[in-house]
This record gives sequence, C-alpha cells and structure tokens, in this order.
Amino acid sequence: MKTKFLIGIFTIVLAVIGIAFVLTSKHALVFHPKGIIAQKELELIITNIILMLIIIVPTYIFLFAVVWKYCIKKDKAKYDPEHSYGPIGELIMWVLPAIVVVIMSTVTWEITHKLDPYKPLESEDKPLTVQIIALNWKWLFIYPEQGIAALNYFHIPDHTPIHLNLAADHSPMNSFWIPQLSGQIYSMAGMRTQLYLMANEIGEYTGKAVEINGEGYADMTFHVKSTSKNDFETWVKEIKESSKNHLSEKAYNELVKPEVNKSVIFYSEVEPDLYNKIIHKYMYPPNQVL
Amino acid sequence: MNKFLYGKLTPEAIPHHWYTIGGTVFIIITAIALIIYLTISKRWGWLWNEWFTSTDPKKIGTMYMIFATLMFFRGMLDAGMVWLQQSIAADSQGYLTADHFQQIFTSHGDIMVFFVTMGFFFGLMNWIVPLQIGARDLAFPFLNSLGLWLTIAGGLLINFFFIVGGDFANTGWLAIASFSELEFNPGVGVDYLIWSLQLSGLGSLLAGINFLVTIIKKRAPGMTLMKMPLFTWNSLCAMVLIISAFPVLTATTLLLWLDRAFGMHFFTLDYAGNQMMYWNLIWMWGHPEVYILVIPAFGMFSEIVSTFSQKPVSGYLSMVWAAISITALSYLVWLHHFFVMGAGPDVNSFFGIVTMLIAIPAGVQVFNWILTMYKGRVNLASPMYWFIGFLIIFMIGGMAGIFMASPPADFQVHNSLFLVAHFHTMIVGVALFGIFAGLTFWFPKIFGFKLNEHLDKRAFWFWFIGFFVAFIPLYLLGFMGAPRRIDHYDSSTGWQPLYITALIGYIFISCGIFTQVYLVLKSIKQRKNNLDVSGDPWNGRTLEWAAHSPPPFYNFAVVPPIQSHQPFWDLKEQGWKPEQKYHDIECFKNTGIGIYISIFAFLAGFAVVWQIIWLIAVGLVGIIACVITLSFDDEMEYVLPAEEVAKIEKLYVSRVSYDGNG
Repeated sequence: MKTKFLIGIFTIVLAVIGIAFVLTSKHALVFHPKGIIAQKELELIITNIILMLIIIVPTYIFLFAVVWKYCIKKDKAKYDPEHSYGPIGELIMWVLPAIVVVIMSTVTWEITHKLDPYKPLESEDKPLTVQIIALNWKWLFIYPEQGIAALNYFHIPDHTPIHLNLAADHSPMNSFWIPQLSGQIYSMAGMRTQLYLMANEIGEYTGKAVEINGEGYADMTFHVKSTSKNDFETWVKEIKESSKNHLSEKAYNELVKPEVNKSVIFYSEVEPDLYNKIIHKYMYPPNQVL
Repeated sequence: MNKFLYGKLTPEAIPHHWYTIGGTVFIIITAIALIIYLTISKRWGWLWNEWFTSTDPKKIGTMYMIFATLMFFRGMLDAGMVWLQQSIAADSQGYLTADHFQQIFTSHGDIMVFFVTMGFFFGLMNWIVPLQIGARDLAFPFLNSLGLWLTIAGGLLINFFFIVGGDFANTGWLAIASFSELEFNPGVGVDYLIWSLQLSGLGSLLAGINFLVTIIKKRAPGMTLMKMPLFTWNSLCAMVLIISAFPVLTATTLLLWLDRAFGMHFFTLDYAGNQMMYWNLIWMWGHPEVYILVIPAFGMFSEIVSTFSQKPVSGYLSMVWAAISITALSYLVWLHHFFVMGAGPDVNSFFGIVTMLIAIPAGVQVFNWILTMYKGRVNLASPMYWFIGFLIIFMIGGMAGIFMASPPADFQVHNSLFLVAHFHTMIVGVALFGIFAGLTFWFPKIFGFKLNEHLDKRAFWFWFIGFFVAFIPLYLLGFMGAPRRIDHYDSSTGWQPLYITALIGYIFISCGIFTQVYLVLKSIKQRKNNLDVSGDPWNGRTLEWAAHSPPPFYNFAVVPPIQSHQPFWDLKEQGWKPEQKYHDIECFKNTGIGIYISIFAFLAGFAVVWQIIWLIAVGLVGIIACVITLSFDDEMEYVLPAEEVAKIEKLYVSRVSYDGNG
C-alpha cells in the first residue's frame, strides 16, 4: 500500500515537472507571445486557470480525503447513512460554484469586449491594412496601400497595429492562426472578417490554417516576419523594384487552382481592388472568372 | 441504361485501396466463419426466433451492446491508426496519405459517437430503465426492435465502403460544409456519412420517443416523478434532448444532401449559399448530442456511488434539478463551438457565459457525489474504481471546458489539439468510464453472475493511466500550436515527442481493452463461483435489484410497492416478501418486421448513396409494404396465464445451483 502510494506521488510529481518543462520550452507558442493580443490572451488564460484552481484544488483535496477516510480506512470511520446537510447545505452547494461563475462571467464579458478581434488597437501609428485570401492550400497577402502582394509570406512592421481583412476563395472555411501574435479568426468566401494584431518585437513566426479543408490542409502554413518599420519599408521598396511580377487577374486565377504550394512568391504589382472583386464574385453565378 | 441500373456505381468509381481490401477480406472471412459455425451448431433458428425478432427490451439491450462492442473495436483501430500516423509523420508523409488519414478520423468520430457510446447507453437503458421503474416492457416494443435494427443498418452502411469500395468522407465527423459540398468532395464518401447518420439518427429518435413515453407512462404505481431513481431521471433528460435535437440533424444533413444530389445551394460557396448556417445548425444538434453522451453516465454514477456507499445519494432533489438544468442549458451554448467566426463580442460573451453556467449544476453534482461517500461505508468494488477515476478526470475536463468558454481564450485553442483533448476527456472519462462502471455494476443483473473483480480493477488501471498518458500531451500540444486533424508536420515544431507519448498512452489503453476481453472470457469460465442467485449482489437500493438475475422476460411477477426514490431499500428494511399471488401478464409477441424494414431502409440508403433509382424505389416500396403488413396484424400481444408465471417463478426460487443457461 505504502509503496504504491509513494510510486503514485512520484509519478504525479514527475508529470508536473514534465508539463512545466514543455510549457516553458520555446515550442509552447501560446505561452511565449510576441504580440500584444496574444500577450493579453495569455494573461486571460492564466487568470482563468487560477480562478478554476481555486475551486478545483479544494474539491480534489476533499475527494481524496473522503476516499481515504471512508474507502480505504473505512473500519475506523463513522457510518451514518442518515447524514445530510439539509436544504441549507444544498443551497450552499449551488451558491459556491455560482459565485465563481459570476466572477468568471464578469471577467469574460469585460475581456471579450476588450479583445474583440474587430476592435482597432490603440496606437499612435496608423494601422497597416493587409488583405488576406485563403486559397486551397496557400495564403495570399495583399498590401493594398503599398500595391504589393506575397504568397505564403507575411511581413509586418513591429509596434504597428496591423488591420487584417480576411476572405477565402474556392476554399471552404479556414481559420487563420499565428499563435504567437494573436488568436484565430475564420476566413470565409464571399465575406470579410477582420482581425487586429501587433507584434511586440522583431522575429520570425509560423502561421497556419486550423480548419480542415482537404488534401493540402497540413501544408497550408506561412512564414511571418516582423521587422522594424524601416526594414519593412526597405522590403516593400525592394519588392516593388526588384521583381517585375504582376498579380493580374490571369495570374490570380492560376493561383486559385487547388494545389499544395509552399513556395514564397512576391508580386510587385497587384490588380487594383482585387480583394473586393474576390469577395464580390460570390454574388454572381459560380465559376465566372474574376 | 447503365446509369439507371448502377447509378454512380461504376468500376472507376470504386477504387480499392489496401485498407479497403484488408477490411473486405477481414469482414468476409469473419462472416464465413460465423455462417459455418451457426450452420454446424444449428443455431440459425435460435438466433432468429430468440434474438433477432425479439421485442424483449432485455434482449434488444444485449444486442445493442454486442453491436456497440464490435463498433468499439473498429473505432479503436481507427484511433490507433491516427496516432501512429501522427507519431511518425514528422518531416515525412508517414504511412497514410492525407486523404486516407482524414477518412480515418472521420469514421473514428462518427462510429464512437453514434454507434459505440449511444449503442452502449441504449443497451443499458433497455435493460435497466424498465426494471428501475417496475415496468414489464417498453411503451412500444416494436419500435424498440425497429430502432435497434435501424441503428445497425446505419452501422453497416458506415462500414459498407469496405466491401463495395469507394471512399468514406474526409470531412470530420460533422461533415462540415462547404467542405462536404460537391465542389470539394465529389465522391460518395460524404453521402455514405449522411445516409448512415440518417438511418441511425432515425433509430435513435425512435428509441428516444420510446423511452420518454415509457418513463412517463409506465412507471409502477406510486412512483411519482420525484421518486424516480437518478439513472432513470438522467435517461429521461437525455431522451428529451434526443427528441428535440435529432430532427435538426436529420434536416441539416438532408439539406446538405439536397445540395449534393440536386445542385441546390443551401451551404455552397457560390449562389449565396451560407456555410455559416450549416455550422449553426449542426451544432444546434451537436451540442445537445454531446450531452446525450454524458448525461446517462451521470445517472449511472449516482446509482453506483449510493449503492456502494450504503447510503442514499446525497441531495436527491439537487441532483434531479442539476440534470434538468444541464439539459436546458445545453440548447443555449452551441455557438461556443465557433467563437472565431467573427460574431460580435455581445454574442460571444452571451454564449460564453451560458456555457460557464453549466459549471454550476456540474459542480453541485460533483459535491453531492463526494458527499454521498462521506460518512458512508464504502465498498471499494470495481465500479467504484471507475467512479473515482471518473471524478478525477471529469474535473480536469470540466476545467478545460470552462476555460474554453471564455471567447478570447478560445481564440488561442480553437480547433487545436487542446479541444480534442477536452472532448476526449469528457467522452472517455465520463461516457466510456460510465459505460464500464455501469456494465460492471449491472453485469450480474444482465447475465446472472459477477465479473472478476481483480481483472476489472487491472483493466481500470490500464485505462486510467493510459488516459493521462494519451490525453495530457494533447492538451500541451494545443498550447504548442498544433492544429487538430493534421496528417504531418515539421519536426522543428517539437511536437513529435508528445505525439509519441500519446501513442504510448494508446498502447496502455489497448492493454486495458485486452484485459477487458480476457476479463469477460475468464468471468464466463468462472461463473459458477460468482453466481448471483439472490438477484441483489451489491445490496442495491433501486427496483432492478428486486428482480431475479437474469430477470424473466416479464421482469416482475409482482410489481413491488414504491415509497421513495430507493424503493428496494425501503422494502428490504421492512422485510417485504413478494406475494405468491400471480396474475395474467400481457406480453408482446416477437416480430421480424423491424428487421425487414431495416433491410429495406439499408437498401434505400445504399441506393441513395450511389443514386440507383430503381433500388431506392424497391427500398421505399418495401418499407411501406412492411408497415402495411404490420398494421393488419391485430394480435401482437398474448396473455401469459398466471399458472405459467407461477411455474417460472417457482423455477427461480427453487434453483440451488444455476447452470447459466436459464
């Protein structure tokens, strides 16, 4: 009995150390946020976990105490089949979890409004608008103000709010996720969804699709690079000058074809108003080209 | 002409992959072996007369459970294939193609939800609910048989692509649109899924109506609603959910099929189809559905903890209201499955907060379960092991659930493996542990002898440890940014060690399953040592223990009087002995119509999948003909005379040694 008990305790301690090790390692992306939104979401995650531990841990202790006293050492325990706490006891049982839920609900209401993905971020800088199209199975990033575009490559300046406008084309519902910068938002054909995010530092991250959409689903990832504003400007300039690659309607219609394509392609010029045209094409009969 | 004869069923349409061939060979060999065995032992007639055509809820319950067990092996095989793929597919494609991988997790989900979990629950309810409420039969014995066979028809259809060839759906268990539309899924896989769910969904709906009416109308005299045992109460709640939710599934998948078969545009991308509508509709059914899977388990645990603590369940009234509140709240939370769809913060907060409200009744239940043990004299028999294991796991799962109910937190774990870990915690730790606990608990009632305690406890430890080793890594993988349902990944993500750990957990769980198989075989062999002659092996409290083990087909010769929600306990305290005065009992005759209808329904379902028009007509006409035949059958009941009852009862009383064959 005693050795079994010790082995049990030892295993639990080992497991806790293992969990802590995994969560502190650099691979635990959600726990290593690099963006302001992901940072706040992590704070919420930790608050929630603590709030729940406040009620879960005593319940566990109570459970184990009861199991110890009335199951394992039952010969010494008092047996009272008539025992009950009556209506007051029952009421307390309803009220206790209710209090925790009320607290959590208040937190939830506040934070959900605060972290609404559609809510512009407070910053002195003007937000950078990026239009993102989910295609089968690649991501297209259009920078309308700069007039450039990139496939599977998302370059952003740090400390600048980024206003993402998402849509999809000939792809079922996708979820856009860069774990270290912000939570997810769906991208859907024929409509716009939005997300604001902001990188806190310079770095490289991975983004991905998180909703099953066919053969190339696992390969639908993209690179994210946040650099200083100057480096971003240089990058835009370089793209505009170096490659003479035009994202015309024709080139775009080639891209729409379902294909696993992990290559990074830069476009120095983009068909004007491409994003709106992509959304609007679902207002017309199907298969009509752009 | 060919199009008329074969529909879409052309040689090109039915590619045979290694796995379908493997499945086919296995199915055919098993079938041949079974046929040979049945023929040699001359058991065909026995099988047909005693079992297949039976309208006795106890026999139907057993058939539900045998079917669920078979499907459970299939589902576990799928789970193993999924985990094996994910363990080796770092920087490589692994041993499965993406498409095949997706088909496997889709069928894993559908099979485990519709056929395993629901199958076991319907099986146990068929056995226990009528006994607990002192009824002789269900309200509609024929519908019960039909429900079983429709469920089996659905189960056959979901496996039928093994034999015919073709593919299964690769859309995830909910067949999410627009991915399940023709544009992305031109094959028949999604149609197999739709029609399998249509058949089994109809079966579940019929069973749901049947149990609801049974519980409302057929309770023993004196058993008011507030004197019903908690398992019956929880079953009633689950049935209310089934009746109100399953029509939504039927309608939604039908709309999807209309899109696919007739080019309609309910959920397509183009022509202003609305894929968001599909998500809303499917989860309006889907969330009540997942509660259908856990609510009966709550009831079982209430029975078990009270029986083994030798104490009435703490806070009976609270427990009833907790079950009712969970039932009611489950309709108002569906949107928490897609907080990231871009609904405004008001909508998201509303659904998040309602989801959190569920923690209140769930918390009340947990407190009361623990308090039932408090000051009790707990007999740590194996069902209690499952119960305590369940409590430990349930609190983790509940915590993860409430955690995800907060929309901004959900943004970071939505559709990640964290979510997968959460609902497996609930379905394995609550539903499946409940099923195992319930099976162990009621096994002596069902088969007349107890299971081997020692082996059952060993199986429990395999499951319990295996559960943590398998699913804690998935929680962590969620925080590491691992999406669900990916068939391969880069090793630089650092996910592989955790996937391998999960696979080790799966091996533990498999050992648990092997132990359970061995457990059943060994218990059958040792049954003479573990016979339950008294009918009350655990010193039970509810009415099912007042019946013989196994009960005669009419359940109770004399229905005992009811005084509280633990009627048998009261009777034992008062030293009640059943009167030896018997009355005529009205019994329901066996009928094969349920099977015939299901065969035609299966044919129609298969024909719809492949769009073979004439076969659809054959199926539909067959069903209608069967119903007409049935409606002309005026003598579906017969009367069992009191002398006959007395004779059977005498047999039970006089048995000194019971040979197990009845």
